[in-house]
Amino acid sequence: MADKDFEAGLGGLDEGPGASATDPEAPFGEAGHAADHPTVAALRERFGEAIQHHVVVAGDEHVVHIPAERNTEILRWLKEDPEQRYLYLSDITAVDFGGGRPLEVVYQLWSMELKRQIRLKAQLPLSALEIDSAVPVWKAADWLEREVFDLFGITFRGHPDLRRIMMPDNYAEGHPLRKDFPLRGRFSRAEQTRRALSMEVEDYYTPEELGIAGDKHRHGQEAGA
Amino acid sequence: MGLEKGSALPVAPTGQPSFITSKLDFLVNWARRNSMWPMPFGTACCAIEMMASAATKYDIARFGMERMSFSPRQADVLICAGRVPYKMAAPLRKIWDQMPQPKWCISMGACASSGGVFDAYSMVQGIDTIIPVDVYVPGCPPRPEGLIYGLLMLQEKIKGESLSNAAIREEDPLRVGRPNLPPETIEELALPFGNSTQQNRASGLVSTSLVARPDDRKE
Repeated sequence: MADKDFEAGLGGLDEGPGASATDPEAPFGEAGHAADHPTVAALRERFGEAIQHHVVVAGDEHVVHIPAERNTEILRWLKEDPEQRYLYLSDITAVDFGGGRPLEVVYQLWSMELKRQIRLKAQLPLSALEIDSAVPVWKAADWLEREVFDLFGITFRGHPDLRRIMMPDNYAEGHPLRKDFPLRGRFSRAEQTRRALSMEVEDYYTPEELGIAGDKHRHGQEAGA
Repeated sequence: MGLEKGSALPVAPTGQPSFITSKLDFLVNWARRNSMWPMPFGTACCAIEMMASAATKYDIARFGMERMSFSPRQADVLICAGRVPYKMAAPLRKIWDQMPQPKWCISMGACASSGGVFDAYSMVQGIDTIIPVDVYVPGCPPRPEGLIYGLLMLQEKIKGESLSNAAIREEDPLRVGRPNLPPETIEELALPFGNSTQQNRASGLVSTSLVARPDDRKE
């Protein structure tokens, strides 16, 4: 009996959290009220229909869903508008719910001056995993976007140096945090070990990699291109 | 202890003979096992316990591990403390290859010995797939007493070595930077409980068969 309950509890785990209880169109979380968060009110006023959803999770975390093609426009406004001042980019990450659902890119912003935080999410269909890079807005986005690229395979257009950051450079098994990635990897353990040992250790201690070679190499002409 | 005229043997002023006879093996092993300098390869929480072992309260210097040698060229025993992801496999192998003979290796903790709970795409399933291991210290993490016991076991092991047996110290230059085990063995070790079963079997103390659950590999 207990086993049955356990199995039932596992149902739908692959699909991730479902839709909101109040609005079937809205994503997971309670429907938020713009009046509760000054930034959301301002976003609604400035961008109107582009603010697709506003939900509140975990009590007081406001999540705003935006279209992927307008992400840098909205992010730049949040950073530069004198009323918002989200100068600090806490995190960029992504979520894969599995089951063919779109991937979500998540931006977590923090305004130190106004002591506010907000989370933005942009959906990307599995067929077109591309979004504009936030590096021109916050330099901190550089490594965060490399991480998302490495683990989820999302391409950031205009990123100055988009390559793997966590998995080895010669990693050929794909993007491990995707739901369709087998837990133990695609290759056999022997093959994984062989490939790992074929890595050139010194490559990770070059002046360019350690960031002491100056910015010319990585943020020069390439960033403009 | 002058050499007196007419006497057959050197005699100390006390009148006692001033030499001893011993086996060369005994002397060499005595010197080796009492002056092992560890090369710490700490990657996770086991390293905290390793540091505690070297600090005042436990003080492995009492047993001849006089100092942590942060250069592989001046080290005798590699202590791999913590989980090793595949990205750290090449550095680990490189450090091992850089250490001069005679050298030994201690695998400290469950993760280094078998991958521990991290049976995932990113994790080496036991460092013995990469480098030869002399002593496995179980625990998650092992207490300093555990590591010290492992070091004492290694000292016991060195006691049994012989200079006449060159095979112990043999190294094949062609295997530098290569996996330590053949592919089939690595596959066997990577099965659930594979490495711990293998280590139990190697100890000769436990008779056991390999636990294989093919369902676990379903995607």
